[in-house]
Amino acid sequence: MATVGTNNMQAKLVLLGDMGAGKSSLVLRFVKGQFQEFQESTIGAAFFSQTVAVNETTVKFEIWDTAGQERYHSLAPMYYRGAAAAIIVFDITNNDSFVRAKKWVQELQRQGNENLVMALAGNKSDLASKRKVETEEAQTYAEENGLFYLETSAKSAQNVNELFYEIARRLPKAQPIQPPSGMLLSDRPADRTAKSSCCS
Amino acid sequence: MFSRNCADRHTCFGLLALRFNYSPYLACRTAPRTCTSYSTPLGNFALIFGDDDDGPCYLPSYAPEKAEDDRDLLSSEGVNGGGADATSEEGTSEVQEFHRNEDEYPPSQSPSDVNGFKCISYNMKELDLDDDRRSAENMEGSCEQAKDSDIEVEPAAGNGHVEGYKSYASSECGGASKSGQGQDTDLLKRDLIPGKQHQNEDDSSAAWRRHKKHFFILSHAGKPIYSRYGDEHKLAGFSATLQAIMSFVENGGDSIKYVRAGDHQVVFLVKGPVYLVSISSTDEPLRALRRQLDLLHGQLLLILTKSLEKCFVKNANFDLRPLLGGTENVFSSLIHSFSWNPASFLCSYTCLPLSHTARQAAGAALQDVADNDLLFALLLSDSKVISLVGAQKASLHPDDIFLLSNFVSSSESFRTTESFSPVCLPKYNSTVFVYAYVRYLDTDTCLILITKNSEAFFHLKDCRARVESFLMETHVLRDISNSVARGGLRVEDLPAGDSIYGSVPRSKRVGTVGDGKASNSTAAGTKERPGVGGAAGLWHFIYRSVYLDQYVASEFSSPTQTPEAQKRLFRAYERLYASMHGAPGGSHQMQYRRDENHVLLAWSTADFEFFAAFDPLAEKSSAITVCNRVCQWIRDVENDFFFVGASPFNW
Repeated sequence: MATVGTNNMQAKLVLLGDMGAGKSSLVLRFVKGQFQEFQESTIGAAFFSQTVAVNETTVKFEIWDTAGQERYHSLAPMYYRGAAAAIIVFDITNNDSFVRAKKWVQELQRQGNENLVMALAGNKSDLASKRKVETEEAQTYAEENGLFYLETSAKSAQNVNELFYEIARRLPKAQPIQPPSGMLLSDRPADRTAKSSCCS
Repeated sequence: MFSRNCADRHTCFGLLALRFNYSPYLACRTAPRTCTSYSTPLGNFALIFGDDDDGPCYLPSYAPEKAEDDRDLLSSEGVNGGGADATSEEGTSEVQEFHRNEDEYPPSQSPSDVNGFKCISYNMKELDLDDDRRSAENMEGSCEQAKDSDIEVEPAAGNGHVEGYKSYASSECGGASKSGQGQDTDLLKRDLIPGKQHQNEDDSSAAWRRHKKHFFILSHAGKPIYSRYGDEHKLAGFSATLQAIMSFVENGGDSIKYVRAGDHQVVFLVKGPVYLVSISSTDEPLRALRRQLDLLHGQLLLILTKSLEKCFVKNANFDLRPLLGGTENVFSSLIHSFSWNPASFLCSYTCLPLSHTARQAAGAALQDVADNDLLFALLLSDSKVISLVGAQKASLHPDDIFLLSNFVSSSESFRTTESFSPVCLPKYNSTVFVYAYVRYLDTDTCLILITKNSEAFFHLKDCRARVESFLMETHVLRDISNSVARGGLRVEDLPAGDSIYGSVPRSKRVGTVGDGKASNSTAAGTKERPGVGGAAGLWHFIYRSVYLDQYVASEFSSPTQTPEAQKRLFRAYERLYASMHGAPGGSHQMQYRRDENHVLLAWSTADFEFFAAFDPLAEKSSAITVCNRVCQWIRDVENDFFFVGASPFNW
C-alpha cells in the first residue's frame, strides 16, 4: 500500500508473469544495474527495495519479484495483496507468456483494487527479430484494460528505469491524508482512573 | 508368489532390455530355469519380490523363506563383455573372500558355455552378498589370513598418488573432474555442473545408456516426471516401459523391488502415485540405493508437499512436470551429493567446526529471535550446521536439514537477495507448506528462518537484521569464515598416543579449532609418514555420534586427493555402513576389511559409529590402536565439532 509522508512515500510493487519472461532480470537491472545472460529461476519470491525521486517526492519501492513457475501461482496473492503497483511482464518472443500475462491482469482486476497501478512490460525488446507479440496488439490490450505499456529490455537497459519512474509518477499523489484513525489521547492526567484504583 | 504367466514377463523385460540395451553385459543366453529368472532375447533377469515396504531392505533377508529357489535363481554376467565383471570394475578382485552362511550355501561358480557365449552363473546368495565378498573379514573371524601378497597396487611414496586405477568417476560425473588444490579437500563436491546435463539425449542414444547411474521419477500412469539424464519428453516411452513392469507386478498384488541384470541394478520404489526408479552400475548396496530414492522423493515433497498426490487423484494422467519448472538444479545437486556427502547415507548432519563459545553465541542470537512466529532458525555454512534452534516443541530431522540445505544451496537465486518461499519439511509435516525466509549473510553463511505464518516476512526480516548485527558485533561471522578457510579435522593432526610416540602432553594437541596451526606443527603423525596420511597409515575417518545424530568427517589426506580416490572411498564407506546396518543374522560390532585400495575399519557401539580408511598395507593392530586414539581425540574436541546441548531432538 502506498503510504504518503511529507515528501516521501512507500509503495509495495509486485512483478508477475510467466517463467522466463524476465522479471528478475528487470528488477536486477533496476536495483543493481546488473544483467546476467542466464538468470537462475527464482524460488518463491525475492524481496528488493529501491528508492526513486520523482517531482520532489521520493518513492521507496518494496519490490516482490515472484517466481513464474506454475507451482507458485496459488501463492501469488500472498505477494500481491496490498500492493500499490504491479508490473505484469511478458516475453515479446513468446506468445504463451502474453496469454499468461493477460490472465494475471484478469486476476488482479478481480481483486477490485481501483488504486492499483498496473504496468504491462513487453520484455526482451532487444530480440525484436524473433518477435511473436506485435507492439500494437499489446498496446491495444493495455489501453483497453487501463494499463500502460512499455517495451523493455533488461539486457540493454532500454526503458527499465522509465518503467519504474512512470509507476512512481502514477502512484496516487494526492491521496487524501486520512484523519488518523483510532482515538485521540489528551494530555490531561486521568484523574478518574487514579481515584478508582484500589490502593490509593 | 510366482504363479503368473512367464511369457508376459518375458515381454516386459524384453522391452526393458531393448530400451536400455544392456548388451554386451547381457549378451549371453542360458536356458530358462525357474520362474524367478527371466530369459529374454538380450539376457537373463533375476527378480526379487517382497512385501515389506519400508523395512530395511537388505537383499539376502528375503532368502531364508525360499532357500530352495535361491540355489536355482540365476543371474548372469557375461565375462566376454569387457569389464563386465563387477568385481574387477573397482579393482577389488580376488583379495580375500568372506561369505556369511558359507556352510549353508557354498558359492557355486560354474562357468558354462551356452550358445557360444561364455557365462558364469552365480548362486544368488553369493551374488548379493557382494558387500561381504569384498574381502570382508569379521573381526571375530579369521582375520589373520589376510593375504597381503594379493595386493598389487601400492601407493607411490612421494605424493601418495596411486597409479593404475580405472577411471571411476568420469562417466558418472559427466566427465567433469577437474581438481585443484585449495583449502577444500573435497574434490567431488566441486564437480557438480549446475543444471541438467545431456539434455538432448534419450534412450536411443548410446551415450545415454553409458551413464553409470540413472534416476527416474514417473507417475503411476507412466508419465515421466524427472530423469537425471536426457529429455523427459523423449523418455516417455522408456517411462511407460518402467511403469508397465511395475504395474504388471502390482496387478498381482505384489510389488517389485529390485532387478539385477549383469552389473546393472534396477531399484524400484513406490510412493503412492509416484514411482521412483534407479538404474545403476555403480555396485552400491541395495539399502543405499533405496535410501537415495527415498531422499529423492523427500526432495519432491519439499518442493510440492504431499498434496501432489491429490493432482493424481483428480486426474491420473496429470503431468507433474510443469509444477517442477526450474528445479532441475535441486535434483541434480541432490543426486550429485549421493556421491560425496556422507549425510546421504548416514542419516545425520555435520557441523561447521567452531569454538564452543562462538557456537554458543550463534545459538544465543537465534534463541533471541525465537518466538511464536518462528518454527525453526537455522544457521548454515554451505551444508554444515552452525547452529539450530527449534522455537516450539518441534524437532528438525537430519534428513530435512539435508534436503533443505540442498534446496537452498542449489538455487542460485537465494544468493541475490532475501527471499521468502514456501517449502515443505517432509519429515516434520509432509502435507503442509511452511515458509522459509532465506538470506545469505556472506558467501557461505546462510540464515534460514522458518515460519508457519505466510505474513511474517517483515517480522523475519527484522529478526534477520538482529541476528546479523549480533553476529557481527560478537565477531562470530569472522570466526565462521576463519573456520571455513581452516577446514575440519586432519588425520595428520591426530595427537600422538603415549604408547607409540612417547609421552607428549595432550593439552598441546587438542586445540584444533582455536589454534589450528599449533597442533599442525606438533603433529607427530606428519613427521612419521610425510605425505601419506596420518599415523599408522590413517587416510580418512568418519565419526558419527548416535545420540546427537551428527557426524564429523576428516578432511581428505594426501593419498585421497584425487576425485577417483575420494569416490572410491565414499563408496567403500557406503558399503561398510550398509553391512553394519540391517544385515541379516545380526549386525557386526566391528569389521576389518582389506582390499587393494584401503584397509577399512568399522566400529559400532551404542554411543557412536566409527569408520576409518587406512593405507592398504596398514597393520591391523596399529590401525585399531589409532582408531582408539581418534575416538579419544574426537571426544576431547567434541564441543568444537558437534552441536551439543539444547539438542532439538531431545525435547
